[in-house]
Amino acid sequence: MFANAIAAERFRLLRDRSTLFWGFIFAPLVGFFLSIAGDIFLRQLAKKPLTGMPLDLVGQVLKALGSGASVFPALFLAIGAAAVLAGDYRWETWRLLTPRNSRPHLLGAKLVVVGEAILWNLVLTVGLTLLAGVIGASIAGKTLVVSGSGAGLGQIAGVFAVTWLEAMTLASLAAVIAVIARSPMGAVVAVVVVRFVQTILAAGLGAMAPEPTWKTLAIPAYSADLLRGFLAAPNHAGLETGPVGVALLVLLAWAAALAGGAILLFQRQDLTRE
Amino acid sequence: MTIALEAVALTKAYGSVRALDDFSLSIPAGGVFGVLGPNGAGKSTLFRIALGLVRPTSGSASLFGAPAGDMTSLRKVGAMIETPRYPPYLTARDTLSMLALESGTRDADISGWLDRVGLGGAADRATNGFSVGMKQRLGLAAAFFTRPELVILDEPTSGMDPAGIQEIRALVVDLARKEGVTVILASHQLDEVRRVCDRVAILSKGKVVTEGAVDALTASQVRLRLVASPVEQVLAVLGEKGAADGPDAVLADISRSEAPALIRALVNAGVEITEARWREADLEGVYLQTLKSSGAA
Repeated sequence: MFANAIAAERFRLLRDRSTLFWGFIFAPLVGFFLSIAGDIFLRQLAKKPLTGMPLDLVGQVLKALGSGASVFPALFLAIGAAAVLAGDYRWETWRLLTPRNSRPHLLGAKLVVVGEAILWNLVLTVGLTLLAGVIGASIAGKTLVVSGSGAGLGQIAGVFAVTWLEAMTLASLAAVIAVIARSPMGAVVAVVVVRFVQTILAAGLGAMAPEPTWKTLAIPAYSADLLRGFLAAPNHAGLETGPVGVALLVLLAWAAALAGGAILLFQRQDLTRE
Repeated sequence: MTIALEAVALTKAYGSVRALDDFSLSIPAGGVFGVLGPNGAGKSTLFRIALGLVRPTSGSASLFGAPAGDMTSLRKVGAMIETPRYPPYLTARDTLSMLALESGTRDADISGWLDRVGLGGAADRATNGFSVGMKQRLGLAAAFFTRPELVILDEPTSGMDPAGIQEIRALVVDLARKEGVTVILASHQLDEVRRVCDRVAILSKGKVVTEGAVDALTASQVRLRLVASPVEQVLAVLGEKGAADGPDAVLADISRSEAPALIRALVNAGVEITEARWREADLEGVYLQTLKSSGAA
């Protein structure tokens, strides 16, 4: 039954080209073109090849993944997530679906499919970052470097997973707002505002207390940054594993609590007029 | 007798408004059952509760004995509630494919059903370009294509042209009679209900006002039509039970046993009767009379 709901939701999203493009493809493409444009600009400015300047592909990928759920990409991920999660309110199509599968399955399937789309969005980010590195190096004449080799792949996988989890906390928030507001626009605005406020709070509280505290760890963006910093640091130097574990639990707890809350609210909701 | 839909003391309140008010109704499986009533009578609320879209304030509803909204009962149901809407980026074929995936139906004859409702030529067109009538047709295919035991249709032919109405009416009757699908149909088109339904319930202000076989309801409201002169004299004798029916006739709302006494009284009053004939009410007459009696019209 749940598998049926996931298959149906995936089928829908694959046919919704506008949501696929703007929600999950556009932001990595912008990153790709900006990176190329930066290298062209650098080459024009230097008026000669930047021979000898290293370009670390692993570092580039870690940097791109690290900002994969920051405010700008979050805006587009929110557009995609909101279209999937709140589309049936907008189109008044819940009445077609709710008699065919249970409500927890229907909304749960939407979250799974959004999770899949975010995963592919991050894969695209990695792919386009690598491509931009190779193209950019040939344009600017930089020397390509792959640092860390095997360890680098592990770092990329870890940062990838953390960014995906951070994005899922935002997607789960979008689900809660979609159910409450019954509006895609409401979900987009809420996600972007919450992500922006998280950035401000994490920076402000982080500056006041350089060591992680319960207050700072409760902010998903701070916890995600802490985890990424831990994973990207060579030999994890200078970081205690205690706060890192708490940070991971905080991200998991936020994603689970918000997703569970959305499903609970949806299960009790009257669909008089979607 | 298997009961397809049963509502017991069902109440649904939206603030101070009661869409359903201590509503009880039992709809047997088999045939086509009509649900009639003016706007706001509670028809759509009843259907939404049956389909689990809305939760009742109190009371209970069940489909084939299982609680309404439960997946066990919903697996047996197809429905089209109010004007159907679809994700605009999906074609008609994609819409049915998506619904088949959602309900786990592997062997749905999607092309066959699109042909059957007259959308074969528009199967691969996005639904956002569909007319209201085409959306209704797709809604009917969506309601029927998983071969449910019960189909709930709310205004299935609104927005359709006369030929389309006739086509869909024939399809509903065909499915109900030949394939044993129980159909519950709400419609404002009384002619459609009369032609299609075996039994009807008339709703008003969230309650069932009357319920029964269409033939029995129309027969129960039989009236005596008298062509007589002077008409004013006939109306005076009948009082509130009489109503003019053209310049030289009167409809008398009396029982068959009252007829001899009435005719005697009219003859004694000097009325010349040229014709006296019992006339059965049509469904529209029953509907309007029932609503009038219940104070809704």
